Amino acid sequence: MIFPAKQRTTGIAGFRTKLLLAMMLVVSAVTGLALFFAQRNVAANVRHNLEREFQAELAALHGVQQVRHAALAERCRALARKPRLHAALEDDAIDLLYPTALDELSDVMDGRDASAGDPSAFAFHATFYRFLDANGTVIPPPTANEAGALSHRDELRLSASAAPTRPQIGYLLRSSGEVDETVDEILAMPIISTETGTVIAALVLGFKPFGLTTPESGLRIRSGIWLDGRIHLPALSTPAARALSGQVEEIMAAPVGAEQGLPVLINGAPCLLFCKLLNPGSIFPPAYEVCIYPLAASLARQRLLAWQFAGAGLLLLLGGLAASHILSSRLSLPVARLAVDSEENRVQRARAETALELTHEELHRSARFSADASHQLKTPVSVLRAGLEELLACETVTAEFREEVSALIHQTYRITSVIEDLLLLSRMDAGRLQIEFRPVDIAPLIEAWLDDFSALPDQPQLTIENAIPDTLIVAGEKRYLSLIIQNLLDNALKYNRPGGQIRLTARNEADWAVVIVGNTGRPIPGPAREHIFERFHRSTAAEDIPGHGLGLNLARELARLHKGDVRLARSDEQWTEFEVRFLLANPATAVAKASP
Amino acid sequence: MRCHPLLPIVLLLVATPGASPSEAVIEGRVTLPQRHVAPVMNKRYQIVTEGGLLSTNPPLAVVYLEGSFAKPTPTETVQMAQRDLAFVPTLLAVQVGTKVDFPNFDDTYHSIFSYSPAKRFDLGRYRSEERPVPSQRFDVPGLVVLRCDIHEHMRGLVLVVDTPYFVITDAEGRYRLAGLPAGRHILKVWLDSRSTLERPVEVRDGATLRVDFP
Repeated sequence: MIFPAKQRTTGIAGFRTKLLLAMMLVVSAVTGLALFFAQRNVAANVRHNLEREFQAELAALHGVQQVRHAALAERCRALARKPRLHAALEDDAIDLLYPTALDELSDVMDGRDASAGDPSAFAFHATFYRFLDANGTVIPPPTANEAGALSHRDELRLSASAAPTRPQIGYLLRSSGEVDETVDEILAMPIISTETGTVIAALVLGFKPFGLTTPESGLRIRSGIWLDGRIHLPALSTPAARALSGQVEEIMAAPVGAEQGLPVLINGAPCLLFCKLLNPGSIFPPAYEVCIYPLAASLARQRLLAWQFAGAGLLLLLGGLAASHILSSRLSLPVARLAVDSEENRVQRARAETALELTHEELHRSARFSADASHQLKTPVSVLRAGLEELLACETVTAEFREEVSALIHQTYRITSVIEDLLLLSRMDAGRLQIEFRPVDIAPLIEAWLDDFSALPDQPQLTIENAIPDTLIVAGEKRYLSLIIQNLLDNALKYNRPGGQIRLTARNEADWAVVIVGNTGRPIPGPAREHIFERFHRSTAAEDIPGHGLGLNLARELARLHKGDVRLARSDEQWTEFEVRFLLANPATAVAKASP
Repeated sequence: MRCHPLLPIVLLLVATPGASPSEAVIEGRVTLPQRHVAPVMNKRYQIVTEGGLLSTNPPLAVVYLEGSFAKPTPTETVQMAQRDLAFVPTLLAVQVGTKVDFPNFDDTYHSIFSYSPAKRFDLGRYRSEERPVPSQRFDVPGLVVLRCDIHEHMRGLVLVVDTPYFVITDAEGRYRLAGLPAGRHILKVWLDSRSTLERPVEVRDGATLRVDFP
């Protein structure tokens, strides 16, 4: 499971690449989406603005036209009420009609000659006028110049089937030449008799159509008039106008939606085309207002906007890609580290497992070995001792020799003791020693040892002070507890100086009974303190003292099996103290008697 | 529409020579037409139009005698004033050749004119201070419709007759013509711009003739 380094680095690089790709994909998608929506939003905005703009311009144009029409109508109405005109018509004085009109309409006709100069200044000035009689036929003027020049053909076109009862708006396309044609807006106003209340005649006035769409007006919209299948739009060349008239007819065929405008191409330039019937319900031929709104500026604006968007999108994309690159390498860094770490961990764990296994095996083997060895050793020692005892019982043995044999027998006892200790330790090492916790009174055990000690044949001159209470009941197994105490007391005895002192005390610490074995032994040097509990450790200063270096180790191991411990509490020139703690079998009972 | 004043110029009927200029009287009553339509626009001006007819409201008629008798040239000047934006009187009957003054008693301008064939004239704009008072002499018999160029609804009627014997009836249509020359004449009644009734009469000296119309 351990990857080679190369494979690992390629794996991390692959991860980084994938991460980068995914992030790029996300960035691209987000950028694309954002751009798409923004572009759509802006395009809708632009379209909306455009619509509003041309609607506003159209409304302005229409508003002005409406006002003008209203003003013209009002003016014509005032003219149509002139008593002299009524008198001429009603009092059988038709010959006085045009002479009177010349007088009455003189201010209206004032702009006739000046109209070429500034058309807007003469927006309310008529170019010609005619009267229609009650039957709608034109009453011819005595001389054409008085009432404005008008060809006979055009005059005929003013005629209606009857004099109109309401004001009418019409348009008259006059062609004075092949190219030069002018459009006149005509307003027919009925003259209603004040005596009969009936229409007795009509006054028809011809005006120059009001053009707001001069370049100075600031409006982009260009307006013209469609009449009799032809378009009169000053801003347009004749062929273009002809081409457009077809589209105008198309719009007129579908009157719904004409307000929205029809996109058309005029001289290759995109424009919006609007048509509006100028004189609905008129007795005159229908005329349409044709408005052209050039889209070039708007399209240019849109194109610029699109470029700007593309640029912004590119920048955004680049930024996003750079960010994702940085981010992916940043993100892959801990992953790479993690991969390395986990690799190392795995190796270490494998090593540790192997070592553990090995250790366990070794431990097991050594435990078995020590158990086997103990058993194998015990038997020859027993045989040796039996042989020696037999030798001692032999009568032929001299007293001197007998003493020697006796010492040998004593040594066999020591060997047995060591072997038993080893056996016990090996059992503990193998984990086969199970403690049965029972309440044990250790005070008698101490007493018994003290008795044994006093019975020793060559006991040194020691003062023993026993401050242990009469009963001290701890949890554990009696023989092992006895062994612990025996080992500690043996130590205190062995390493004491002649004429020294041994003091045994006990105290309670929460759930613990602490037994302190103090003596006037030689001090244990600092570096040795760490090793005194090790197996087969013997102090260098104590080579003359019999022992095999198992006592303290055994005591500690056993105490730990009893959930207690043994430690060195004090060691100086005067005093050495070992402290063993046992689990109290019944803490409540032990406390009171703990201190004497 | 157009006013059609009757043109009774050449009605030379049965002439009775040696008629006495006095004593003879014609009296009677003209049944005036009932106007059902309440005038609205011209109420103030006492000229009503109905279907192009001009007449006075309340209705009045002019009764005049035509015949081949001596017609002295009128010397007196008659007045047709403008007062409160109306002609006063509304209807004036004059003999041919009579001079009519048109004084303005209002505080505003008036501009009296007529396009009627019997007399076309235009006095122009003038105020009450205008001196001499604008006037016109009516030389042709017929109905003259007076208008004001400033006040379009003002109407006045001048009936020019070729006789010194004429009278305007009272509101009930009663009339009396006295001092008539004897002889066979034609008695005419002008009712409105289109209707003139006539009846031949024989006037005798000292006699009182009663003629009712119709």
